[in-house]
Amino acid sequence: MNHKKINKKDLGNLLHQWSKDYTIFVPSNEGDTAQMGLWDGSDTGFLDWYRNTAKPPKANFLPPVEEMFRFQKGKEGHSIKLPSQEHQQLIFGIRPCDGRSLAILDNIFTDAYQDPYYLPRREGAVLVGLGCLKPYDTCFCTSLGISPGESNDVDLMLTDTGDEFLIEEISDKGKQLMELTAGLEDATEDDTARASEAKGKAHDKVTRKIDTQHLSHKLLSTFEDETYWEKVAAKCIACGICTFLCPTCHCFDISDEMVKKEGARFRCWDSCAFPLYTKMPMENPREEKWQRVRQKVCHKFEFYPMAFDVIACTGCGRCIRLCPVNWDICQTLGQLPG
Amino acid sequence: MNSNNKIQQKLRHEAGALLEQNKVDLIIGFEPGSLKFTTTPLITRDKGDLDRLVINPFIVNNLAVFLPDIKGPDLKGPKLKGRVAIVAKGCDGRSIVSLIQDNKVRRDNLVILGIPCPGMIELRKVEKLTGKDRDELDDIIREGDKVVITVDGKASEFPISDVLFDNCLGCEFPTPQDYDILLGEPTAPFAERSAGQARILKGISPQERWEFWRREFRRCIRCYACRNICPSCFCQRCFVEESEPQWLMPVPRWQENLMFQAIRTIHLAGRCSDCGECERSCPVNIPLRSLTREMYDLVDELFHFKAGMAKDAPPLMTHYEQEEAKDLIR
Repeated sequence: MNHKKINKKDLGNLLHQWSKDYTIFVPSNEGDTAQMGLWDGSDTGFLDWYRNTAKPPKANFLPPVEEMFRFQKGKEGHSIKLPSQEHQQLIFGIRPCDGRSLAILDNIFTDAYQDPYYLPRREGAVLVGLGCLKPYDTCFCTSLGISPGESNDVDLMLTDTGDEFLIEEISDKGKQLMELTAGLEDATEDDTARASEAKGKAHDKVTRKIDTQHLSHKLLSTFEDETYWEKVAAKCIACGICTFLCPTCHCFDISDEMVKKEGARFRCWDSCAFPLYTKMPMENPREEKWQRVRQKVCHKFEFYPMAFDVIACTGCGRCIRLCPVNWDICQTLGQLPG
Repeated sequence: MNSNNKIQQKLRHEAGALLEQNKVDLIIGFEPGSLKFTTTPLITRDKGDLDRLVINPFIVNNLAVFLPDIKGPDLKGPKLKGRVAIVAKGCDGRSIVSLIQDNKVRRDNLVILGIPCPGMIELRKVEKLTGKDRDELDDIIREGDKVVITVDGKASEFPISDVLFDNCLGCEFPTPQDYDILLGEPTAPFAERSAGQARILKGISPQERWEFWRREFRRCIRCYACRNICPSCFCQRCFVEESEPQWLMPVPRWQENLMFQAIRTIHLAGRCSDCGECERSCPVNIPLRSLTREMYDLVDELFHFKAGMAKDAPPLMTHYEQEEAKDLIR
């Protein structure tokens, strides 16, 4: 297959070209916090510092807060106004782990119902992947069947070959975009070989591992082991960092806000780490911190695979990197009895 | 053997003796973290774990946060049943005393293993200084007033004040105020403490300040790490969790985010020991200490009160003298 390539210096022109049809999101630093933010139309400086974002790209599809609809109470009952359709987004630079996270999330948002907020954004979006050549020491994507330099979950895949990027078409959507894109050179065999080498090297740089074999079974047999979970949970402070910044955690809360006869319904991220998450009128089945820690681990590595045949973890390492007490999921999984 | 090693050995010895002589049920200290230049809280009843206890420039957590949560020796039963030996730096020690003042923990259930603290190294500052991420650094070694940072095999020396947390630079009491065993010699505060003052709020107009916080709090995701990492945020149920009626919308909009933090800060008046854990924990780097330190200074100025200095003193905000009414209520 013939691939294309582009000189890094021309990336701004390429993004500019794409910006005619898409709203472009690139790795950006807002207050020292990296996220996929709106491209300012010229800056490609992120190429110098970007390894991965702190806020995962799920935020572009399931935002921390969104207005589901506005309502007004009249004599005839409530009238509802839906939010306007958003622009089609092109996310440039998404890493293979995060590309996979969206594929994992698609399962839940198409399962019991078709989510009318998440899915149109997904369908309208183009993901331009960028191979990860400098994984963090917290990354363990290769244990989850992901290679840092490769992805089938994006539309186009770029690999850094020095002064240039090799561009591979992955999906039909990617192919269509390439057909409309002008000013790209054909890649040579030499370029493709250099890209392959870079991908292989990146794969080998991921040295942190977890053993996913029999994990579901081990978690099932450890479920009642209160002593283990108490010990594991002891230092957890039950904040929402690991769940909110996890690219596959997707729980949300819904609230109404009404002033006089008008209002809006919002949905926002919620976390199983919080006691309020499971609070019901008479009881809370997960009152204790260890129960909530167990829930988080089991949901990712036992329940989600049971429902969708895929582990809800991509090994991106955000939960380890950003945890204020260094609670390390790999240690918890590695030390499971049974 | 450097002084940290000596302190560490003494700590392991003392902690072991306390468990062996059945003077405590539980040890709370630090062990090496799973990542370079990190440590992690070690909470254990097992003597076999104690050779993992460490003292180094990265023991950042304020371990007092665990005290209101600790359960008895069988890991069940009523809270605070167990007797605890806890490693405490200066600010942690003040948080512990503050918890005692608020009746959240009993002094006779505690053995405080005091650490005279020379200041903790902030990895974000090291990363800014070197232009490298934590995992790309070869080594960070503190040598008295200097720090030697090795990147790609090349060592560079910096003044230690370049890499210490702001709250450490501004620390008034680096040696714990109350302890049972002091590991090491008492240490003095930094000579130039003004560097550690809250940076952002001073000398800008209210409009600019409002604009600043609006921008900062737009980033907040309401993960509550600032609250949960804080020893002084010990409410069984935080006001943001009141759902009937709802005090504050759970949606992370800047208005609600700012309101949450403003109320949290006010609740900390007279309790905050300026340990800086809220700011360190924030995953979106909101300079929270600019609020808490401002409150700390205001409390000092208005009430001549510093948090966690004397366990028998009444807590500032739950205590009231008749004559105060003359000034406060007119």
